[in-house]
Amino acid sequence: MRLVFFGSMFVINMLPAMLIILVFSVVGIASFTALLLFQDLSNWYQVLSSRYIWRLLNFSLWQALLSSTLSLLIAIPVTSALMHRRFKGRDFLLQLFSISLVVPTIVAILGIVVVYGRSGWVTGVSGVELPLYGLFGILLAHVFFNMPLAVRILIQAHGLIPAGQWRLSYQLGFSRWNLFRWVEWPYLRKALPGAFLLIFMLCFSSFAVVLTLGGGPKSSTLEVAIYQALRYEFDIAKASVLSLLQVFVCTLVAFLVYRFASVYQQDFSLKRLDSFPVKDSLKARCFDLCFLCLALLILLPPFIAILTPIFSPLFITTLWQENTWLALWVSIKIAFPSAVLSLVIAMAFVVMARACMDKPGWSWLPNKLEYMGGMILVLPSLVMATGLFLLLRNLGVAAFDLAYWVVVWVNAIMALPFVLRVILPTFYQQEKRYRKLYQSLGIRGVARFRLEWPMVRQAVAQACAYALLLSLGDMSVIALFGSQGLTSLPLYLFQLIGSYRIEQGACIAVILVLLCFVLFSLCSRVIGGKRNA
Amino acid sequence: MQIFSKTSLVLATLASLSLTSTTISATNTKTLNVYTYDSFASDWGPGPKIKANFEQQCDCTLNYVTLDSSVGILSRVQLEGSSSKADVLLGLDLNLMEAAKESGLIIEHDVDTSKVTTPGGWSDKSFVPFDQGYFAFIYNTETLKDIPQSLKEIVENQDLSVIYQDPRTSTPGLGLMLWMKSVYGDDADQAWQTLASHTKTVTKGWYDGYSMFLKGEADVVLSYTTSPAYHMVVENESKYKAAPAVEGFYPQVEVAAQLKDAPNPELAGQFMQFILTQGFQGEVATGNWMFPVIELGDALPKAFSGLEQPTKVLTLPAEQVAANRKQWINEWLDSVTQ
Repeated sequence: MRLVFFGSMFVINMLPAMLIILVFSVVGIASFTALLLFQDLSNWYQVLSSRYIWRLLNFSLWQALLSSTLSLLIAIPVTSALMHRRFKGRDFLLQLFSISLVVPTIVAILGIVVVYGRSGWVTGVSGVELPLYGLFGILLAHVFFNMPLAVRILIQAHGLIPAGQWRLSYQLGFSRWNLFRWVEWPYLRKALPGAFLLIFMLCFSSFAVVLTLGGGPKSSTLEVAIYQALRYEFDIAKASVLSLLQVFVCTLVAFLVYRFASVYQQDFSLKRLDSFPVKDSLKARCFDLCFLCLALLILLPPFIAILTPIFSPLFITTLWQENTWLALWVSIKIAFPSAVLSLVIAMAFVVMARACMDKPGWSWLPNKLEYMGGMILVLPSLVMATGLFLLLRNLGVAAFDLAYWVVVWVNAIMALPFVLRVILPTFYQQEKRYRKLYQSLGIRGVARFRLEWPMVRQAVAQACAYALLLSLGDMSVIALFGSQGLTSLPLYLFQLIGSYRIEQGACIAVILVLLCFVLFSLCSRVIGGKRNA
Repeated sequence: MQIFSKTSLVLATLASLSLTSTTISATNTKTLNVYTYDSFASDWGPGPKIKANFEQQCDCTLNYVTLDSSVGILSRVQLEGSSSKADVLLGLDLNLMEAAKESGLIIEHDVDTSKVTTPGGWSDKSFVPFDQGYFAFIYNTETLKDIPQSLKEIVENQDLSVIYQDPRTSTPGLGLMLWMKSVYGDDADQAWQTLASHTKTVTKGWYDGYSMFLKGEADVVLSYTTSPAYHMVVENESKYKAAPAVEGFYPQVEVAAQLKDAPNPELAGQFMQFILTQGFQGEVATGNWMFPVIELGDALPKAFSGLEQPTKVLTLPAEQVAANRKQWINEWLDSVTQ
């Protein structure tokens, strides 16, 4: 069987994909090895025997578990409501959902403070001061960042429900609840473990949000210790031990999630054609309205707070400054190549995974690939960048001369988990549905791609948009490798607020958010085609 | 064949390009690489003017390589090791001096520091100070009526909401830790606990905390005595003031050092000398919002002369700080997380 698998035709077809994955893995493993060279066993003992580290670990786990569960609990009904209702501003809302993830942390924190803080809007209206600092603040911020992400992933899963099932439930006169229970839920459920893990890892490695809104060092995550070791103690050994610990814990959680969750199995369903009207009821309407309002309530006020500076005269001044446009240009210069790179690597994964799907003995690979891609998230980008730097130094290359390419590369890798999560289900489904048809007709390569494109372009558009936006919002990689000529928008924002110019920093944040909006709709239009949510 | 000729054409162009670039660099002056933090070199920072002033006298080009923080400067040269292109590090502070010395990457300077006005004078042979200030709590005169007169009053007043920065991740945070230590000594753990009960939050960096304070989140925030000068000079706003401290303030001194393997040692030496002259010192007040380290007389902007001045300056010896830092951070952590 293996012999057939490695047949020459197959190898030639797979060669580009294999090469890309090879480069990806070699660079990744080599960078991490460069870090590991710095450590010995005593580091492990020192870290594992520290009460402090266990406390951090305990808290990181606890808050990440709560944040991701809460995000999903809200996201499920919101997704269902969004898919059943058409209303004015729905497209706008969906765009807003994609952007919350990339708002720089400090900007989001200030947005939340303006709304819920001591002198905030809620206190101003109600006269009651909310206990923002503590678990409440952490959850609020994490739900703000991640609930929209969960909704976008679940919408993707919702789109995979075949027309036949809608038709059947229409003929049977299903109520909204039965429809959800018997049609939507089985599909959403398949996407839940992946979405949960993605958000769990994001929250697990969250740093500034947890510290600031958590009200102090009582709420710190392992990431704080990694940052401290790497930047303030210059203890690369300790930092790499801590990162490994983080990877280990997340792997354990991933293992448990996949152990107890249903296995991700795509079915042979037919393409969804039209949606059928569903029996509506007052109860269903109230239900949808409630959850849409809840989503708006969580998302909109901080966004309004973030966007308010648009009306200030300072915003106009900022727009006229050369620095603003230079930073904008640097951001775009980094974001586009890294988005393309991220898509290319992700496509290599897709091609490999699809090729393995029906090979006996290899069918485990597709499931594992998706989850392996996700593990990248738990490696702090700062650690990854440092490892890459040390690798280049060991090779005798002056890494800072390559600063631009290093930043592009690390950003592309950081976006990979999101890109994979968005495109894999769609491509898998295409494979399962039409593989035999394509094979029997002898359609391969470009010809097959052209036939598939209309069906996958929406997913590709969304993946591309995520990759772009994530690179735009990056802060840590560029801060480590950046130099005079490489000041992106987020970096410029930090420079401004780092020297008292907080108002102008807020204006840059507005520009960043607007840019995200523009790029997102551009991706949806150009890549995703007109018919797009 | 055609491909071949195209390739050779490209090669020829590349060769000619590299030739021209070498001729340019041969006639061009030397470049001095100064590693500093980004706000120093930004348009509104003191960097551009200092660059212009220095280039007038050195017949060279001053190039800033900017990092995200003072810690970033040190970790960058530590990462680069002896292959670093840096000539001068500009922007380390008192508490990074020991670590920088231990790295073995810097050499001693021969600058005359007798004119330096830092508390107790300056005798360190590795570093030259370039600006100074004091850590202090800033308040808004319009919202806070009961002004704390000392660090003790800030720590003990349960009605006062406080924001400060994490000593694990920020310079002012570390400054506060040393300030507390020099005021409270062995009772610092008790004091941290008392402070924790009315601490609004502890932030990662200076900017998080300060911007939250400006949004009205707390009564006082940890910053510098010079912070009000920014609001006065740039925003014409005088409602922000630094709270006095009868026990004394803890100083912050920013320093520069020359690298042992500096590619341009002569230029680097010349720049180290330049730091203590008018051409450099005249720019730090309104550029970096810190005090200069030499007597400027009338050249110091008015807003600075009205700032809170220390009645006493508290300093812990650098060796003691370096030796005990980890232990003190743990003491802080244990006290505030109880």
